Amino acid sequence: STSSVLSSEREESTASKDSTTEVASKSQEGTAETPKQKLLDIIGNMKVEVSYRKKLQQLKTREIKKQAKNKLEGLDSEGAALQRTTEDIQRGKPLNPELVEAASAVASSLPFNKKQTESELLAQLRRHEETTDKQKKGGTVNLRNVISEMAVQRQSPSQRGARLSSRISLELGEDGQRIKPERSPESFDSRSLRVGRRLNIFTKASTETEDALKTVSSPTIWDLEFAKEIAAMTAQPPRNGFEEMIQWTKEGILWEFPIDNEAGMEDDAEFHEHIFLEKHLEVFPKQGPIRHFMELVICGLSKNPYLTVKQKIEHIEWFHKYFEEKKELLQEM
Amino acid sequence: MAASALAWALRAARQVLPSPFTRQVRGRYVDWRMLRDVKRRRLAYEYADERLRINAIRKNTLLPKELQEVADKEIANLPRDSCPVRIRNRCVLTSRPRGVKRRWRLSRIVFRHFADHAEMSGIQRAMW
Repeated sequence: STSSVLSSEREESTASKDSTTEVASKSQEGTAETPKQKLLDIIGNMKVEVSYRKKLQQLKTREIKKQAKNKLEGLDSEGAALQRTTEDIQRGKPLNPELVEAASAVASSLPFNKKQTESELLAQLRRHEETTDKQKKGGTVNLRNVISEMAVQRQSPSQRGARLSSRISLELGEDGQRIKPERSPESFDSRSLRVGRRLNIFTKASTETEDALKTVSSPTIWDLEFAKEIAAMTAQPPRNGFEEMIQWTKEGILWEFPIDNEAGMEDDAEFHEHIFLEKHLEVFPKQGPIRHFMELVICGLSKNPYLTVKQKIEHIEWFHKYFEEKKELLQEM
Repeated sequence: MAASALAWALRAARQVLPSPFTRQVRGRYVDWRMLRDVKRRRLAYEYADERLRINAIRKNTLLPKELQEVADKEIANLPRDSCPVRIRNRCVLTSRPRGVKRRWRLSRIVFRHFADHAEMSGIQRAMW
């Protein structure tokens, strides 16, 4: 839905441009449709193509949802329209009518539940407007307030000595190993980190996405080298025959058991694409020796289990090209 | 055969020399005949499909004879090394053209040498 929101925003900007051009050339309005209207019509006519499998899955999920919703929908259908108007009134600032039109056009082009997508798009738009309003008013994080609340901590010299000695204990236990101070690790003795009011400067989600983006966009050569080094260090020689066999299977030297006869064969084509090749013969003449010859070729190819469908089609196309080139020669005879 | 074609490609790529007419003396093949055999295998692999299709046109009784004569000329125009008949199964280690067992791709002398030193898996001296 974010991509559709982005596209609707783009449309809104183009729509605003169109509106300015409209104001300049008002005389042309009556003659043709406004370009904005044309845009909206085009979007409405564009239908998103979804594959058959996905459609089935979507239908199933939709049916499950519908069954759950049907009980509630009967009651809420009247209240929903009222709710929307009350929500609009509550916001105080109604949405741009152009945006609403664009959202409805986009929703109509998608194959999902139109009402749902429309309401989701409008909610997203409202949220966007809210954040922009907030930033304009200055309602977001004010650094001055935050810094004024923070206070500098003063260390007492008497406590300093105790702290240093408690960090590393030089006593040796029975085994000859050092005794670690058995405490949960706390960086400050008088205060712990988790005490105090949250400042709400950072949000969790943003840092996660940043990390993800970082790892994807910059795998430097040094990172790769490091990864290779680690892999080489951790790959210990096999301790027994089983581990050796595992290693060989991973490398591909040993087959996987139980033996799969179609291992490595990635033929995604169905059997009917291999056998019924007559549809490729449409470009050839219907009568004559060439047709007879090509039918024999098709018969042979359909019985060949070793070629892929692509290779078979390539054979037929080569013959077609060859006979096209020799057409003048054939017509002399 | 595909492996030899790959090896040929690698070899050709590595021979990036200052002038394209000089050739490296110490190559990866035992002798020049082996190199020529490798070239023939590579070309035969490349032209295999075309030869098959042109031969299919030549060797049937349905199409007119003029067309088949044209196909004859076409196949004769293909490079001479592209026909699979010119490939000779040489020994992989010594490039010996005769006395080569197909399963191991080795000549009889090399095979015997390895078998006697117990370096051939599952080979034993026959005694009955």
